[in-house]
Amino acid sequence: MKREWHTTVGAGIFLGLACALYWFLSYEDSGTVMLLFGAAAYLMLGGFIYLQWRRRARLPRPEDKEDGTYEETAGEPIAFFPTASIWPAGIGLAATFIAIALIWGTWYWVPALALLFGSIIGFAVEAEAPDDVPADLEQAAHRQDSTIEPKQIAH
Amino acid sequence: MTIIEDRPGSGPSTDATGTEVHQERLMAMVPGPRPRSWVKFITSTDHKQIGLNYMVTAFIGFLVAGLMAEAMRTQLIVPNNHFVTLEVYNQLVTMHGTIMLFVVLGPFAFGLANYIVPLQIGAPDMAFPRFNNLSYWLYLSGFLIMLGGFLTNNGAADFGWFGYAPLTDMVHSPGPGADMWILGIALTGFSGIFTAINLITTVFCLRAPGMVMFRMPIFTWNMLVTLFLVLLAFPVLTSAFALLWSDRHLTTHFFEANGGGQPLLWQNMFWFFGHPEVYIIALPYFGVVTEVIATMSKKPVFGYKGMIGATLGIGALSMGVWAHHMYTTGAVMLPFFAAMSLLIAVPTGIKFFNWIGTMFKGVITLNTAMLFSVGFLGIFLFGGITGVVLAQPPLDFQLHMTYFVVAHFHYVVMALIFGVFSAIYYWFPKFTGRMLDERLGKLSFALLFIGVNLTFFPQHDLGLRGMSRRIATYDGNLGYNFENLLSSLGAYITGLGVIPTIINVWKSLRTGAIAGDNPWDGQTLEWATSSPPPDHNFESLPPIRSERPLWDATHPDELTRAGH
Repeated sequence: MKREWHTTVGAGIFLGLACALYWFLSYEDSGTVMLLFGAAAYLMLGGFIYLQWRRRARLPRPEDKEDGTYEETAGEPIAFFPTASIWPAGIGLAATFIAIALIWGTWYWVPALALLFGSIIGFAVEAEAPDDVPADLEQAAHRQDSTIEPKQIAH
Repeated sequence: MTIIEDRPGSGPSTDATGTEVHQERLMAMVPGPRPRSWVKFITSTDHKQIGLNYMVTAFIGFLVAGLMAEAMRTQLIVPNNHFVTLEVYNQLVTMHGTIMLFVVLGPFAFGLANYIVPLQIGAPDMAFPRFNNLSYWLYLSGFLIMLGGFLTNNGAADFGWFGYAPLTDMVHSPGPGADMWILGIALTGFSGIFTAINLITTVFCLRAPGMVMFRMPIFTWNMLVTLFLVLLAFPVLTSAFALLWSDRHLTTHFFEANGGGQPLLWQNMFWFFGHPEVYIIALPYFGVVTEVIATMSKKPVFGYKGMIGATLGIGALSMGVWAHHMYTTGAVMLPFFAAMSLLIAVPTGIKFFNWIGTMFKGVITLNTAMLFSVGFLGIFLFGGITGVVLAQPPLDFQLHMTYFVVAHFHYVVMALIFGVFSAIYYWFPKFTGRMLDERLGKLSFALLFIGVNLTFFPQHDLGLRGMSRRIATYDGNLGYNFENLLSSLGAYITGLGVIPTIINVWKSLRTGAIAGDNPWDGQTLEWATSSPPPDHNFESLPPIRSERPLWDATHPDELTRAGH
């Protein structure tokens, strides 16, 4: 993760320097503020990655090692990958309604907000991954009771 | 949806080579039911399906905005023409620019990155698959809303794609078309921010073991830097639009001089987004061209680390050049912005040097994808050189708002369109499992290359003669007639040039030759899986020991030099 935080913190420092240079050359407010916020954004991102790196006791992950091998990653789930979900489309439709409501007003807010909150709740509830990876993957493989099945990469 | 990192110290499995262990891991996934038929277009969280959705939508946007361009060139083909009314002409100018920038070039690259980047780094999917789907829906919604402006009474937005204050206020643009333009772009902006978060996380957290940052393919690197820029630029755009919105509807005066506001603030905010946007749409196609040239020359990328450094340099410098669009306002720091703008030519020059170095002494296959990439080099070089001309304040004072500027940036963006076509011809076998027809492809290339040059080369001279941009018609005695005629004929040839590719895609989807996994003898990991790739991408992966792992696996006698 070293390269990751080097890149992002480096971007933040560059923007900070550009900000200082720009301010003292031009004394122009808007550009300075935008550069400053850009620098802050990247220092925040880079700082977060740096903290993660420290939390890992500065050890490289398998993908950070020139000679990383696949067996180093065995035994641990990579991430939670859902198969399909209707809720993003719901939020997208809600965004369309909100846009229409902002232009033509009042009553469009009703379907817009209903759809938005409904979809966000659906999205959040669906995201609750199972507490533990099913011990018997065969059993899970044959569980077809839901059309939206969380897909788990596991050992 | 947290990413559970691979913790060190977990018990290693059996196989020493690693490949079979990986296979075992992926085969043990819970096979949840994938959506089929048209439902998958809506609900699928598979990065490949979402990438295709993006690319198809962007290509439709390209055809729509291209037809607008043909209408404008028809209006300008002879002096004092009345093909469209003046109001409609202004709407066409605005919507052509907006759609090409916000709906076509950027999102096509995002779609391509969606499809290709996880494959290139050996990841099973994007980091946040449902978020990914949401980005697509926000993008489509934004596209349809801004296009919907044409259906309203006053028509679509008509103040140019950079919407300068005070043209955008309620007095000058009262209709809902302007509001739809604002909201449409804001939605595509959110979509871009979400895609950026998603893809950066994917690149940082989901690489395959051994895929260190300095082994990632150049396309992936360029997308990473592009999305860094998206994270900096798009929030500024969205907040500028929020301010504009409140000026129009909540009687604030951010951009209105009469209430103590500052119209120039809009230009600063817009171009702080707008110039990085140029690189947001350019860098991905630099990546495409690098991949195509390396593969078709059967060589590793020449100066791999220099190429990455150049990309980072372009990205960094592009944050400090926004006001070179504002020289003539008299309110910007000319030396600072001129110096930064001229400096950008250096990393771009490094890229050109490396592209040529990659081809040098290579075994070059001159197929359609490679032709489009080489065409990209020529056309982009021309656009870049006129960019250096325009970056010099004394010349810009002369040429600002003339057709010279139109010619300059159309050379740049048409080069990027060549990048789009190159990507289509290069990765179509991976997307569909079938090859595109080479003869139709080369016909398409020839027509586009002639058409683009015929359209935009005369516009340089028109600009030097003083024809200003965005005018809907002109007098017959100003000496503009012949070159406008040439330019319009070129636009028709360009339009014709797109048709063979559409026929080609349509035909090849059904009857194209079967491609196999690796039709181009590729070097990067996307060619290591089947075409199209299965769910979660890989049955097995070769060990990653250089920046072209697949080449090392398929050509064990020609291993890539470590640290090349």
